[in-house]
Amino acid sequence: MRRVTGFLALATATALLAAGCGSGTSASGSGDTGAPVNGGILRAGIPGNPDHLDPALSYTNEGWEILEATNNGLLTFKKASGGAGATVVPDIASAMPTVTDGGKTYTFHVRPGVMFSAPVSREVKPSDFKFSIERLFRVDSGGVGFYTGIVGADSYAKTRKGGISGIVANDEAMTITFHLTQPDGTFNDYIATPFAFALPKGTPDKDISTIPQWRVATGPYRITSYVPHQSITIRRNPTFKSWTPDTPNGHLDGIDVQIGVTPEQSVNEIADGQLDWYFESVPPDRLTQLKAQYPKQVYPFVRNNITYFFMNERKYPFNKLDVRKAVNYAIDRNALVKIYGGQGTPTENIIPPGLGTAYKKHNLYPYNLAKAKQLIQQAGVAGAAVTVWGHNTDPTPSAVQYLAGVLNQIGLKATVKTFDESVYWDTIATQKGDPQIGFTDWNQDYPEGQDFIDVALNGEHIVNVGNNDLTNTNIPAYNKMIDQAKRMPLGDARNAIWAKLDYLYMKNDAAWAPFMNRQWPKYVSPRLHGLVFNGNYFELFPSMYLTQ
Amino acid sequence: MIDSPPVAAGGFRTALRRLRRNPAAIVSAIVLLTIVFACFPGAPLWVSHACNHGPSDQNIQGTITENGHKVPVVRNDGTPIGPGLRACYLLGADSNGRDLFVRILYGGRISLEVGFISAIVCVTVALVLGILSAYAGGMTDSAISRLLDLIWSFPVYLLAVALATTLAVGGLAVGPLHVSSSSLAIPIVVIAVVFVPYVARPIRGQVLSLRRMEFVEAAVATGAGPLRIMLAELLPNVASITLVMLTLIVANNILTEAALSFLGVGVPVLTPSWGNIIEQGYASIVTAPALTVAPGVAIMLTVVSLNVLGDALRDALDPHARIRIR
Repeated sequence: MRRVTGFLALATATALLAAGCGSGTSASGSGDTGAPVNGGILRAGIPGNPDHLDPALSYTNEGWEILEATNNGLLTFKKASGGAGATVVPDIASAMPTVTDGGKTYTFHVRPGVMFSAPVSREVKPSDFKFSIERLFRVDSGGVGFYTGIVGADSYAKTRKGGISGIVANDEAMTITFHLTQPDGTFNDYIATPFAFALPKGTPDKDISTIPQWRVATGPYRITSYVPHQSITIRRNPTFKSWTPDTPNGHLDGIDVQIGVTPEQSVNEIADGQLDWYFESVPPDRLTQLKAQYPKQVYPFVRNNITYFFMNERKYPFNKLDVRKAVNYAIDRNALVKIYGGQGTPTENIIPPGLGTAYKKHNLYPYNLAKAKQLIQQAGVAGAAVTVWGHNTDPTPSAVQYLAGVLNQIGLKATVKTFDESVYWDTIATQKGDPQIGFTDWNQDYPEGQDFIDVALNGEHIVNVGNNDLTNTNIPAYNKMIDQAKRMPLGDARNAIWAKLDYLYMKNDAAWAPFMNRQWPKYVSPRLHGLVFNGNYFELFPSMYLTQ
Repeated sequence: MIDSPPVAAGGFRTALRRLRRNPAAIVSAIVLLTIVFACFPGAPLWVSHACNHGPSDQNIQGTITENGHKVPVVRNDGTPIGPGLRACYLLGADSNGRDLFVRILYGGRISLEVGFISAIVCVTVALVLGILSAYAGGMTDSAISRLLDLIWSFPVYLLAVALATTLAVGGLAVGPLHVSSSSLAIPIVVIAVVFVPYVARPIRGQVLSLRRMEFVEAAVATGAGPLRIMLAELLPNVASITLVMLTLIVANNILTEAALSFLGVGVPVLTPSWGNIIEQGYASIVTAPALTVAPGVAIMLTVVSLNVLGDALRDALDPHARIRIR
């Protein structure tokens, strides 16, 4: 899922995080020595609006970080750093689901007494979950692909009438049952993503980010105000009572998010004591200085991330395989890592190395400008006009300019189109936007190779709005392999298929030009502690506390 | 605003003599000519003789030899090489490994071109509107004046950003004429349009006073038509004020181009201009200040020299006039 700017902890990065942050599994903060302190308002900064504050629509790290603190689903990823954070545990469900029918039926018991905040102010019911998942299809959510395996979901996606027959909610018995068309080893992960968070029945079928009466919380915090381009105010949810250690009360009294803070400005404001925490990573050029000057306030944060350029197979000249291969040969991945201040590892794989045996390094496209030029000539597209899309948060503009420069070098005629980051991700995910080539990245929704291959490359999931298959790749033979892998239990055999698909997509399709597994170093104020870098929800607000 | 009649058309030789006696004018002219020379013939000469890379050549992985040591153009932590006494990367490099000095030379070409061409377009349109409005009077005057009022009522940069953003999406299409959104013509037209009222208004005021003068009445009495009067009688008499305004508006337009490019709606991103270079270096202002300071100094020197030259020209052509843009 999400493209860029937020954070993800790598399952395999526990040791790294432990070295940098203290404990690898729970609260691990800056100079964190004593017991957590309650109270205080966290002063946070963000460069632009988060994409959405609607669980059905948000698909960025920034949005998920906020929604994790305000809303809940049946299941959740354990609120911990590193490998422990990849474990799915019960949240509003009272226990893990009962799985029957050969892995095709999941039955959850909903915990009584969990309340929606005002103005709804009532208990969360199983039918609210059914409503929330059906709503995903009605609002063109980017997360619908996770739930199309539910019986009746495909037809509901077309008609949007009559509900999804495979979801049976019983408010009397407080149970909800999901019937799947085929077994799916990662269904619990889907249920733990914010897309499946509970919203009250009656929530309108439109973005509720700026509709306060529908921005209803179940978690320890609620969004009390959101003024786009200015601020987000988050305060304690008075109706919340913690029900498990994985839904903690939180230590902060609230969070004031100032919108419009540039990465450079964030460093200055944190150093001046005006800001505690920033949604983005440290500007690459400041990292060396900050590490030397404030070693206890800089944290490494490795995620399951792949940063890449996408090429739209439906658009000339990228509808030609030779052109896509040429781009892969033409980019110098080591040079691109330098643009990111060295905060990453060059790669040409789709799957990040943190996903165990699903990652098998290949070396299909060593840097070779002459070969790239030859492929462009061979494809007969020399001089073709190409517009490279990117957003405006540094250092992405430099990476986009690098690519445009390289495309000009190999014989294309490139220009650059820059968008504000707050609208960029939605824009590239619509067919109407119709980009030829552009920058993007993908961080895990859940720790499995499927999240990279199936979600971002399976042509069966191509939609007009909220499309995650930015390249419009659709290879039926590979789609079948994906479907086959999804039916398999989690483990090495399944991972081997993801690794093979990674190789096949890059060798025979090359619609991605992956270049880096990015790291996200963070710089925080000296009074901020309790940082937990979770692999799926990123940095967890409820774990943070202030000491001054 | 103008509060005294300008010099006669034949007074340019006197004006030139006055100009030569003004040391500030001489210095500013030398600075301006140096910049123009450095940017136009100088840029390709520098590239072909001093270093072999153009303004858009990216050399992130490259090295240069300094004091017998190989130094990376961009370090592994992304920090580009800084200024130094060397032919290549004299002012250092940016994060994409592009030579800052070469980019400033080539960027100067674009900034000066946009500044001068947009100023010429602006002043030409303003001359036509100003003279026509004042001479024709009546409905024509009202229509033109209201149009100018309309443009004038918008804050300059707000209007420029709005126009530039709109045109950046689909380009400019007028009948069969289509200008691509990545064309330099877009910022030129935008900048020219927003400043037309600031030039047309004083010209209109000047013509209003001139049209009642005896030499115009004499021309009418000899049977001269409106077009001839406007071209042969009025135009030469507003030439001096126009020339002064041209120098001032060029400086203004260079600043506007820099501002629009800094905001991302001016010159296309891949084309170096002083504004673009500042915008692209701004993120590294702490660790690589040369990326913003050097093009900033280039803009400052150009604008100051144009303003000083404009003031000197005004003093030389019409010592009693007070002309100011904005």
